[in-house]
Amino acid sequence: MPAAAPSEVDRRLPPLAWACAAFAGGVLLNVDRVPPWASAVALFLIAWRLTSERAGMRLPGTVARALLALALVAIVLLEFHTVNGLAAGTALLMVMSGLKLLETRARRDQFVMVGAGLSLLLAACLDRQSLARAPLYALAAWLACSALAAIASEGLGVRAALRLAGGALLIAMPLAVLLFLFFPRLPGAFWAIPRGAEATTGLSDTMSPGSIVKLVADYEPAFRVQFASAAPAPEERYWRGPVLHDFDGHTWRRSSGAFHPRERLQYIGRPYRYRVALEPTHQRWWLALDTPAQSPASNVSLTYDNQLVAAEPVREPLSYDAVSYLRTRSLEPLSASSRREDTARSRGNPAALALAQTLRERAGSDAEFVTATLEYLHRGGFVYSLTPEPLGADAIDDFLFNTRTGFCGHYASAFVTLMRAAGIPAHVVTGYLGGEWNPVGGYFVVRQSDAHAWAEVWLEGRGWTRIDPTAVVAPERLRRGVLDLLPDALTTRERLLRSSEWLTRLLQQWDAANAWWSDHVVRFDYPAQLDLLGRLGVRSPDVRYLGWAFMLALTLWLAIIAWHIGRAARPAPPDVLSRAYARLCRKLARVAPARALHQGPLSYAEAVSARRPDLALPVRALLERYAHLRYGRADAGVREESIEEFRRAVAGLSLPRPRQ
Amino acid sequence: MRWNPVAPLLVLARERAAAWMRRRQGADLLPVALERRRLYILPTGTGVAFAALLFLMLIAGLNYGNSLALFLTFLLGAFALVAMQQCHRNLLGIAVLTVSAPAVFARARGAVHVTLANPAGLARYRVEAALPESPAVAADLTSPEPRRLELPLPALRRGIVRIERLRLATAHPFGLFRAWTWLHVPVEMLVYPRPAGSLPMPAESGARPGARSRGGSEADEWQGLRPFRDGDSPRQVDWKAYAREAPLLVKEYSPAGSELRVFDFGRLTDPDVEVRLSQLARWVVDAEAHGERYGLALPGVWLPPDRGPEHRHRCLAALALFGTEGHAGSRPV
Repeated sequence: MPAAAPSEVDRRLPPLAWACAAFAGGVLLNVDRVPPWASAVALFLIAWRLTSERAGMRLPGTVARALLALALVAIVLLEFHTVNGLAAGTALLMVMSGLKLLETRARRDQFVMVGAGLSLLLAACLDRQSLARAPLYALAAWLACSALAAIASEGLGVRAALRLAGGALLIAMPLAVLLFLFFPRLPGAFWAIPRGAEATTGLSDTMSPGSIVKLVADYEPAFRVQFASAAPAPEERYWRGPVLHDFDGHTWRRSSGAFHPRERLQYIGRPYRYRVALEPTHQRWWLALDTPAQSPASNVSLTYDNQLVAAEPVREPLSYDAVSYLRTRSLEPLSASSRREDTARSRGNPAALALAQTLRERAGSDAEFVTATLEYLHRGGFVYSLTPEPLGADAIDDFLFNTRTGFCGHYASAFVTLMRAAGIPAHVVTGYLGGEWNPVGGYFVVRQSDAHAWAEVWLEGRGWTRIDPTAVVAPERLRRGVLDLLPDALTTRERLLRSSEWLTRLLQQWDAANAWWSDHVVRFDYPAQLDLLGRLGVRSPDVRYLGWAFMLALTLWLAIIAWHIGRAARPAPPDVLSRAYARLCRKLARVAPARALHQGPLSYAEAVSARRPDLALPVRALLERYAHLRYGRADAGVREESIEEFRRAVAGLSLPRPRQ
Repeated sequence: MRWNPVAPLLVLARERAAAWMRRRQGADLLPVALERRRLYILPTGTGVAFAALLFLMLIAGLNYGNSLALFLTFLLGAFALVAMQQCHRNLLGIAVLTVSAPAVFARARGAVHVTLANPAGLARYRVEAALPESPAVAADLTSPEPRRLELPLPALRRGIVRIERLRLATAHPFGLFRAWTWLHVPVEMLVYPRPAGSLPMPAESGARPGARSRGGSEADEWQGLRPFRDGDSPRQVDWKAYAREAPLLVKEYSPAGSELRVFDFGRLTDPDVEVRLSQLARWVVDAEAHGERYGLALPGVWLPPDRGPEHRHRCLAALALFGTEGHAGSRPV
């Protein structure tokens, strides 16, 4: 074997290996969203097929395959109770395609496996659209297209296949972008596939001691906010989420579901207008700055306790414009049903009840009682900690008189219990506090770790008033995030990332890129398309203009590609020598017989000399020189000069017409 | 093969399409450069399946309003369009220089030789050439040098095998599309009768057939050994050398004197014309191999004694065409 440089060796893979690779790419993209056994089965089947090919083992027969297929379908059904759903469908596609691999012999079957890989890629796209995953999707698509090339032209090297597919995908990219921009989108789903119960993220609609701690360790963004003008101070940035009314002594829940009228509010101070880009939570509430003044969308209602609750869970990233006021005053007295709901006492916690009654008796008014309670928390030796001791049966009593360590959830919970014990309507509000300014994108990013819980009490003459009992225990929490306050809560990775200015900046850039991706790619929908047309100068954009733009883009691109590709296939243009020779032949044809197609220069010289002996000498010399230049050997430098000389000789040649 | 109810219809459609293309393009004069006008392109089965997959992806993407799924669909769609252009380009501009079919003996493996050149700088891969209803032969044209493809063409009986057209096709690079063109270049492959028969070669003027056995007579001068060629008499083979595991060699003798032989069809007695022709072919091949002068007499054909490859071809062609429409040597072969 001739020794070749390693870079020149282009290893070849059998088409089956390519088919397996394309399929495996699709499987790996879905590993984290199907049950582990499904991807394990698929990967095992791939390994089995490749091994059997290499070792020449027999593949299982039809009966064995049919039994295996039945078993796998049964397992999928047991797991999901349906096959009509994205996760179930993906798992089914994965294991069935893996089985198909066992009967893959012909080229057609190999193409089918590539198709399965592409389908799995599609399933992954439908499920996750994050920027971090996009490169993986691109790689999988590239791999599948390379597999197409390698299967279609057997014997193609790995590099050659990758290069072919990569080149074609690069040429395809501009058109793909144009189609993406202009292909008319549909405003809604026309065929609903039931979604499985996806894990919810972020705040939940219950709060028990310790539930918020789980969020604090989560550095993922919950939402991003861009203010139209100046943003409120950090200690004013309370983001309102689920409001919890029901307490069973341990866990806070939302409400019993009874109807409550919403009290009319007077909004005080300047309005804050802002745009929220919410990450999917698979829950129904939308976050807003406390207190939202109106509902941002038609399918979202502003409830009596000032939450924004949507009709559908948030499954895709979404963004909305909202208006909020930092202070409000109620124009109406509290409705009886709300008062009943928010003064309900849970069983147990007798010490807390006694404490509240003592404090209330000492205070002159509800407002003074609130101040006294806060004072009690401030001076009572309470410690802010994310790792409090577990609480006993009477959780509030245990916390107030025994452990005295806790975080926002504990304080809000205890505070509301004390308020209710004194007959003051109060409830727990969960949400987020603060947010980190991202100078790259010009927005605040609010992370799950910013989760917070506070209290609202009803004070006569003012209405619902926000009281944050955590603030008296750990006032720094208002201006800084939990993680700054308690650096031990950070994971090692995040602590490292935050340790250097440069890395922090990088993180901010990455977050801004994610925000851009989320806003301009993932959420690019029909209104965004019309907006784009408007910016391109269309007066009243509608779907027809989109259609025109779509057709125009397609035609233009096809024309450019046809021209570009046709150019490469055209023969190289004649060189200087050929042009000079053609000119000489044209000149000769005017005074002597034209050169026949089969005649070479020397035989043509013979023919001309026979007819025009008077021209024999110069013509023969020129044609011989041409033959020498074209077919003879000469140094490159000398040849250039000789060709130029020949060209000039032909140009200066004048041939007398034959005398009649 | 399974019975396919559409097969006869497909055959009919294919024939109609071929006739239409023949009318549209006319006969081809070589050399032919493959221009756009004569290139056809259609998606393959894989291509159709790929389009169906893309359609499903589009529906899914639109249904969920999922941007990445839609982008993936558009990317793959644009990729398929690029694949179409590249497939078309893989044939565009290829020059077909020659198409020929060298004469062969019956029952030997014949071939149509197609010379392709690639005058553009662009490398072409997996260009397939095929005769109608035959498997294709693929080649890569990576340099401007002409490249010869040999398309197998079985030569069953003596006479002429006519090929009306041949096809150049490619599914490169992704197998989603197949571009093809038909070349209407009539090619005739002359099939000589198979040399056979063991009658001794007739002597001078064919007066005493079999009086003197040829091949190894002392009158000839030993000249040397040469490799075995199709049609050589087994009697000339150097079997001793072969037994020593040498390749099949043939003993060659220089012409001894200027013997004149005429192989006369009329003097052979076998009732089967083909057997007689085979015997004549055997003699022509042997005599030529020995460098002798020989003539051929067939009813209506007289080829005076001569020697050399052209004479051999004339004689064998006359034998090949005997009794066919091209009989009597009027056909330029």
